[in-house]
Amino acid sequence: MSIENILDVEFGTELPVFEPDTTLANVGAFARAVGWGGPRFESHEGAQKEGFPGALVPGIMGMGFLVSAIHRWAPTGTVEHIDGVFRAPMIADTPAIISAVVTDIDEDEGLVELDMTVKNTKDETRVFGTARLRLPKA
Amino acid sequence: MVDIEELKKQFLDAEFDSKNFLLDAENLLVVAKTSGETRAQFIDAEHADFQATPAFLCSLASGRHLPIDFPALGGIPMDGGKAVECFAPIRAGQPITGKSHLHDIYDKQGRSGRMIFIVVRMEIVDTEDKLLAISDSRLVIREKPAA
Repeated sequence: MSIENILDVEFGTELPVFEPDTTLANVGAFARAVGWGGPRFESHEGAQKEGFPGALVPGIMGMGFLVSAIHRWAPTGTVEHIDGVFRAPMIADTPAIISAVVTDIDEDEGLVELDMTVKNTKDETRVFGTARLRLPKA
Repeated sequence: MVDIEELKKQFLDAEFDSKNFLLDAENLLVVAKTSGETRAQFIDAEHADFQATPAFLCSLASGRHLPIDFPALGGIPMDGGKAVECFAPIRAGQPITGKSHLHDIYDKQGRSGRMIFIVVRMEIVDTEDKLLAISDSRLVIREKPAA
């Protein structure tokens, strides 16, 4: 269900799961656009030489995935604040599963609080965090 | 062992870096699209409300992370996370300045020793010094045990 205003939101609602594009080509394009191009984010072999299991997905790209998941669920909302904890590396070319749940609603202000996670297919948390979303009042 | 309270007295809230930015529309588009963004104001450069995504704003905080005279604590700072608070849209081609200071320093005792957390805050302002966004970077340093 797409959310249009604050009265559409129910406490405890789980947002639709979002599986973003974590292919090496997509991750490399992101990294170059923010000025972080280089082996760590663009080459599995290059990242392995630096001691990583493979090319990394930048933590801030994980935050971008979280914001995109919110916008897909609530197209009229504005993310005012997002806080992400980078718990473990995300690796390019491996699936990332974005999930989120509504943890607080302020109908008077039109604000929604969300707890969010990025996990891999082993259900291991890579990034977790919170977001505050402002929605139109009814 | 480093005295956290002393570090706070010496370094908190003092601006140590200032950098000017001019965001490129093409880079904003790439970041939004590769993140899976679907909102027109982030993926359509012709949209009247075209603006940077929160994730893009986090990227501005890379570069010099700590004051030049901040003491070495033994380990390489790791990126422990980021946060961004948006107050107004930031547009392509809009001159902005990122002013950095240390916002918080705290520690946690882990199984393998003490971890020190440093929150570097960048305040992003326009040419009128109006605050547009705040971007926090959490650096984590594993303290080197005393010899």
